[in-house]
Amino acid sequence: MVEATATATALSDGEALCELRHVDKEFPQAGGPPLRVLQDINIAIRPNEVVALLGPSGCGKSTILRILAGLTEPSGGEVRYHAAPLVGLNPGIGFVFQSFALYPWMTVTQNVEAVLKAQGLAPEEVASRGARAIRMVGLAGFEEAYPRQLSGGMKQRVGMARAFSLDPEMLFMDEPFSQVDALTAESLRAEVLDLWAAKDSNPSSIVMVSHDIKEVVFMADRIVLLDANPGRVRTVVENTLPRPRDYRSPGLLHLVDRLHDIITGMEMPDEPVGVPAAAPTFEPLPFAGAGEILGLLEYLDARGGQEDVFRIGSDTDQEFGKLMGVVNAAELLDLVDTPRRTVVLSPRGAQLVKASAVERQSLWREAILGLRLFQVVRDAMERQERHQVDRDFVLEIVAVNMPNEDYERMFGTFVNWGRYAGLFDYDEASERLSAA
Amino acid sequence: MIRQVDKIFGQAVAFLDRSRRVGWVDLALVAGLGGTIYGLVHLSRQWTGALRPAVEIDLSLSALPGYTLLSLSRGLVAYLLSLLFTLGYGYWAARDRLAERVLIPALDILQSIPVLGFMPGVVLGLVGLFPHSNTGLELASVIMIFTGQAWNMTFSFYHSLRSLPRDLTEVATLSRFGWWQRFRWVELPFSAIGLIWNSMMSMAGGWFFLMVSEAFVLGDKDFRLPGLGSYMSVAVSRGDGRAMLGAVVAMVLMIVALDQLLWRPVVVWSQKFRVEESGQTETMTSWFLDLLQRSRLVAGAGSALRRLARFRSPRPPRPSAATPPRPAGRGPGAAISLALFLAVIALLAWGTVDLVGLLRHVPGATWGGISREASLTLLRVLAATALGTLWTLPAGLAIGLSPRLSRVLQPVVQVVASFPAPMLFPAAVAVLSALGVGLDLGSVVLMLLGTQWYILFNVIAGATAIPADLREAARIYRIGTWQRFRELYLPAVFPYLVTGWVTAAGGAWNASIVSEYMSFRGQVIAATGLGARISIAASSADFGVLAAAIAVMAAMVALFNRLVWRRLNAMAEVRFSVSR
Repeated sequence: MVEATATATALSDGEALCELRHVDKEFPQAGGPPLRVLQDINIAIRPNEVVALLGPSGCGKSTILRILAGLTEPSGGEVRYHAAPLVGLNPGIGFVFQSFALYPWMTVTQNVEAVLKAQGLAPEEVASRGARAIRMVGLAGFEEAYPRQLSGGMKQRVGMARAFSLDPEMLFMDEPFSQVDALTAESLRAEVLDLWAAKDSNPSSIVMVSHDIKEVVFMADRIVLLDANPGRVRTVVENTLPRPRDYRSPGLLHLVDRLHDIITGMEMPDEPVGVPAAAPTFEPLPFAGAGEILGLLEYLDARGGQEDVFRIGSDTDQEFGKLMGVVNAAELLDLVDTPRRTVVLSPRGAQLVKASAVERQSLWREAILGLRLFQVVRDAMERQERHQVDRDFVLEIVAVNMPNEDYERMFGTFVNWGRYAGLFDYDEASERLSAA
Repeated sequence: MIRQVDKIFGQAVAFLDRSRRVGWVDLALVAGLGGTIYGLVHLSRQWTGALRPAVEIDLSLSALPGYTLLSLSRGLVAYLLSLLFTLGYGYWAARDRLAERVLIPALDILQSIPVLGFMPGVVLGLVGLFPHSNTGLELASVIMIFTGQAWNMTFSFYHSLRSLPRDLTEVATLSRFGWWQRFRWVELPFSAIGLIWNSMMSMAGGWFFLMVSEAFVLGDKDFRLPGLGSYMSVAVSRGDGRAMLGAVVAMVLMIVALDQLLWRPVVVWSQKFRVEESGQTETMTSWFLDLLQRSRLVAGAGSALRRLARFRSPRPPRPSAATPPRPAGRGPGAAISLALFLAVIALLAWGTVDLVGLLRHVPGATWGGISREASLTLLRVLAATALGTLWTLPAGLAIGLSPRLSRVLQPVVQVVASFPAPMLFPAAVAVLSALGVGLDLGSVVLMLLGTQWYILFNVIAGATAIPADLREAARIYRIGTWQRFRELYLPAVFPYLVTGWVTAAGGAWNASIVSEYMSFRGQVIAATGLGARISIAASSADFGVLAAAIAVMAAMVALFNRLVWRRLNAMAEVRFSVSR
């Protein structure tokens, strides 16, 4: 288990099946600077390995997969396939979608065969390869069923049959098991690994996107940890645990723990970064509702004031990236502290939890008025004769001072927090904030 | 009633099925096929015959079936044209970002031009093109029906193409579907349901102006084609009550037959293109589709066709890994698209120049009259929409909220709504004049006859979509009827109501042409209004005034859409959508 730096992935050319070099990606935003979602991504896919992309929501992991597949063009950098620049679609891949992406008007067989027919294969070969792929994923007997008659797990089997039918060199999977029930996902993971483990046949390598740490440790040889806003490769963790792997083995549990530590280290820095020293800076608002933050405080209060962050995640059944947003928001408002992996209720947080509903509102207002964005907007409102400001005014502050943030989304959080504080109200029709 | 028919047919089919040896179904199909072929031959004789601008219409009831078939064939040909137009135009608009900016606004304008706006150009052009045969005149009639059908189908197809889910298109891209495969396997199936529902609406819309499309006056020329529409207008002008009634009955029979033999089977079959997993729970049935699926003849023909297709279809060359696919937006397709785009721009520019030339000769006083009449017609349109809402809102809620009522009444409402209201105008005018109401007020009632169904349809759809938990909550908290109506039903159906209003108001503008001006028992009665102005200008071949009046109408419709309906729609979506 060697922790490599990001640059170490740029290995010698001949070896990689496909590779991203210094890839950037920006998406245009309506009436604003483009939103940078990926920055300087370097990833190489070697033969006979399972690579997992792990990161919080919004870190661009699906975008990386789509750039590797040739579905999306990068804004900068280079995509290479077998040591040559990739033009158009990546010819060596099968793709499994989170949402299955089956054509509802086609039967299982038709869904698989459509892909084969598009390659211009002879009818006999289309039929035989289609049948083989369907048997391979255990769908024999369901050939004439329509997708709507199948469960989520069965649908994903069709998606996999479709991907395998082309005998691809690489299998790309975008959160393939997140919409499948837990037990079925378990068997699908094992089946995919079995198919991959047959070394002399395709797929040679698997690239998967996931936000489930256990799943990643169970399946991957290399785990690429990504950071959000903009998406960057934080670190790459090699996973040399022997296969077949056991969820309860000490080695696997240890690695899960270590990944937890790395993620909390980068998601919840112990040292507050960017302390307002000279010029006051704007703090980006993490994407979390006031109700969720209050819920976290209640949860901590009921457990004696502190809890391990991954325990919170599994207790509340929250996606990790989402939970991190809530924890970071609470920390930003000085309601919790996060020494390493634990989340601890701060004195202010404890006071807020114990307060009555009316007191809560004024405490909450006090907390958010510690943030520069709320101060600026409140001051602007007070200066106005009718105590109103436009939505665009706030968007502009965000766009100018926090260019890497999705400002529409941050505005949603801003309104949510401010309304809860009784600081202002927002009228959707006129797009105007008015002081309460 | 329809249920009853279904049941009886079901029993009959079951009986026929038992006696399969005889192959009754196949026999009936062969007979039907023979009839169709005979009809086509008959039709082609009518088309290729020598030019007879105004045929003598035989008002005896025995002539009615022949006329009905002729009209039916015109409607079907127009529908095929509409379908081709829709697929081409919609596909182009959805695929080409540049063309889209011109094509979609152009479609918006086309939609707001009433049929009489197309009439002079189409008739004069086509009759000039085929001076000696009936083909030109027949084509003109077909195109006039087409203008009542095509636009909403095109909009529906375009919107479907634009709203294709991303993952479905990504699969197609990754699998390197060619454009034809993409079209046949992804785009067409995805748009099928919307296209089919709009086809039904369009067919009804095409019948609306059947009387105008088959019998019209252009200047000193009288055009009359043999058909149900002409039969009706001759019957009306002669005041022949028996013939009028016969025509109405024939029309109803034709609509019911189309519904049972064409639309219902297609709708049932199209259920396999549903995208959402849940949706309606009640499965629809069609006795005719069952019958077709049981027929050995159809099965045999189907497999023969498939074999032929496999034999004929050229195998696309296998893309090799070495040649990367051409980046989208280049190649011969783009060149053709650009050429077509320039052609459309040139056509639009030419049309504009022509229009300006026509409008220049319209005196100022006429413009004043037209704008005064336009405001009168606007008032009528609004009155008709308001009156329609008044009764359809409670009725639609009652039907939509009761599963039993909606099961029984919805098919009936569908057929009634497809019936072209202008065929009922003579009766309505007779009643109105007996009551002493002139056409100035009466035309509101006539508009209402044509457009109330759009509102009713939408209210029913909205009422069925109200979530059960909201209704349960209202019951648990014992919310009274009036409060329930104001605070639950009305907001919940509001988005649907707005859609209904948009369609109804558009229809009312169009209907003003036939409801503000008509000849009845040999005399002309007219109201003061834009529709009457258009009718008079068309029949007296006063093209300048006609162009001016139609331009004003199109502008009014477009402006009203933009300023009122679109805002209401946005508000409805944000504030009253129950699904968000």
